[in-house]
Amino acid sequence: MARALPASRLLPRRGPAPLLLSGLALAAVAALAVAVGGVHIAPGELLGALLDGVTGRLHGTTDTIVWQLRLPRVLMAATVGASLALAGAAFQGVFRNPLADPYLLGAASGAGFGASLVLVLAGSVPWLARLGVPWAAFACALATVAAVVALARQGARLPTVSLILAGVVLGSSLAAATSFLMLASRDRAAGILSWLLGSFAFSSWDGLLAMLPLALPAAALLLLAGRSLDVMQLGEEAAAQLGVPVESVKFALLGAATLATAAAVSAAGVIGFVGLVVPHAVRLAFGPAHGRLLPLSALWGALFLVLADLVARTVLAPAEIPVGIVTALVGGPFFLALLRRQQRGR
Amino acid sequence: MKRVAFLVVLLLALQVALATTYPITVTDELGHELTLTAPPQRIVSMIPSDTETVCALAACDRLVGVDQFSDWPQQVADLPHLGSATSPDLEALVALHPDLVLTDEYSGLADRLRKLGIPVYAGTPQTYDQALAFLGTVGHLLDVETRAAVVRGTIEGQVAAVARQVAGLPVQRVFVELDATPYSVGPSSYLGTLLAKAGGATVVTAAMGEYPQVDPEFVVQRDPQVVLLMDAPYGQTVAGAESRPGWQGLTAVRDGRVITLTQPQVDLLSRAGPRMGDAVLLLARLLHPGRF
Repeated sequence: MARALPASRLLPRRGPAPLLLSGLALAAVAALAVAVGGVHIAPGELLGALLDGVTGRLHGTTDTIVWQLRLPRVLMAATVGASLALAGAAFQGVFRNPLADPYLLGAASGAGFGASLVLVLAGSVPWLARLGVPWAAFACALATVAAVVALARQGARLPTVSLILAGVVLGSSLAAATSFLMLASRDRAAGILSWLLGSFAFSSWDGLLAMLPLALPAAALLLLAGRSLDVMQLGEEAAAQLGVPVESVKFALLGAATLATAAAVSAAGVIGFVGLVVPHAVRLAFGPAHGRLLPLSALWGALFLVLADLVARTVLAPAEIPVGIVTALVGGPFFLALLRRQQRGR
Repeated sequence: MKRVAFLVVLLLALQVALATTYPITVTDELGHELTLTAPPQRIVSMIPSDTETVCALAACDRLVGVDQFSDWPQQVADLPHLGSATSPDLEALVALHPDLVLTDEYSGLADRLRKLGIPVYAGTPQTYDQALAFLGTVGHLLDVETRAAVVRGTIEGQVAAVARQVAGLPVQRVFVELDATPYSVGPSSYLGTLLAKAGGATVVTAAMGEYPQVDPEFVVQRDPQVVLLMDAPYGQTVAGAESRPGWQGLTAVRDGRVITLTQPQVDLLSRAGPRMGDAVLLLARLLHPGRF
């Protein structure tokens, strides 16, 4: 179980200050991410382009790049980051397991399999081409989690251990099927691999508008569950005795977190590490109470992924690297450093 | 008539001058020596472009097996298919008793075959120049050197003819989409060099590498005049590409020059082999439709 570690002296832990400061930090990073990109745009030009959009008079390549490519990309990274981190915090809370992440119940393997099917077969199966990668990924992610829940369910109960086992096993099988698709189609291996590692290169306003109706209600439900999750940390039986309808809460939270995860994965591919590390980092910095952990995870997840995508598209600009490589390479050491620091403070 | 007689004499002279005298020893790209005591008669090719090379040198009837992706010329479809260089059907390959296997230098297949005592040449061309040189290598191995010289001359003739036609025409800015990720090709990649010979230039810069994943902002900024959708056989459509953010203003979109390629065309453009002349001609037709 993720345990409360002693308070860090660096960050405020009470009152509205943490939320406010985190929100400001996110805004600053988002502004930086809009200002910098694969194509260099001078600050004056950038302001001009932003004004053109506000006044509704878009013209020229710079306006197109800022409004149709960069802004939706930054917003998409923020939305996906917030969804994954929120889902990760919920999964860790529900399972009371520090290794839980949004992909625990097979959403990632399902989405990866669905996306690979379309990437490999769209040329010969017209209805797959019409379906498109995002919807195929979304549908397969939901179907996989539904199958895992169906396999693990015992009557009205959802035993945690069976859920995790079913998720891991079904996930491995689907990952194997995806690997086979990759090997069987030599031209597509690079494309599938990049999708599996995640990228915001496809971001558009349309994609964002398709994601928000799923992500927002899911986020709202998860953000309201702070108190129930706090009680559930005492153990499921104790929580039930304290009046928490454990099984219903579990169903609702896993459903909402899965929806948020499937929406995130279908929009940007399987970006690892955000859902696992961000809630832990927030817990280490701001404490374990879920009423605070959940919104802060969303904010820092957004910040982390906007920053990671900024690195992914600028480090080799104008070439890109998959953002999942950045989240793992940068996020891992950062998290370990945070952990060491906390342990030394103990 | 005199000219024909002269050519016949020249070809005969060439034949004598170029004939291979066995045994021969050549060094492959992995640095291993391969010794052949007689012209190989049971050849296995594990690379599609190598299969094309053997057949272009009129030795198709000496092939006894090919990899699963070899599909040109038509007649290799009837041969046993032995998987790919990276995942070969080794037992079937060994059972064919090949006296020469052509494969790549990366997969490790060559080492395994050498340990089994099977004659193997590891190394398959990756560039235009390597492919021209490889024609000579295979011609030498198979004792069909005259034919190799003729095939090479044909390719160079086709490419020179295209070069004359596109000389003076404006060089077309081309975005080659290998994959919607988007992966594209740099100027030093194989397809990048073919584009240059066909009067075009990839919008990707040399510094970005041979097969970079490109920031979509960069594509919009470079405003390609032609877009080649190499991923069309995998379902990418013109309408889908044109509806991407920021693409509506691209010159290629406005001029209706977002072009889908078929699988045979993609194969033609990706295999550094004996059909490179045809590949350059295809690109020239796509880039300068009025001129070819």
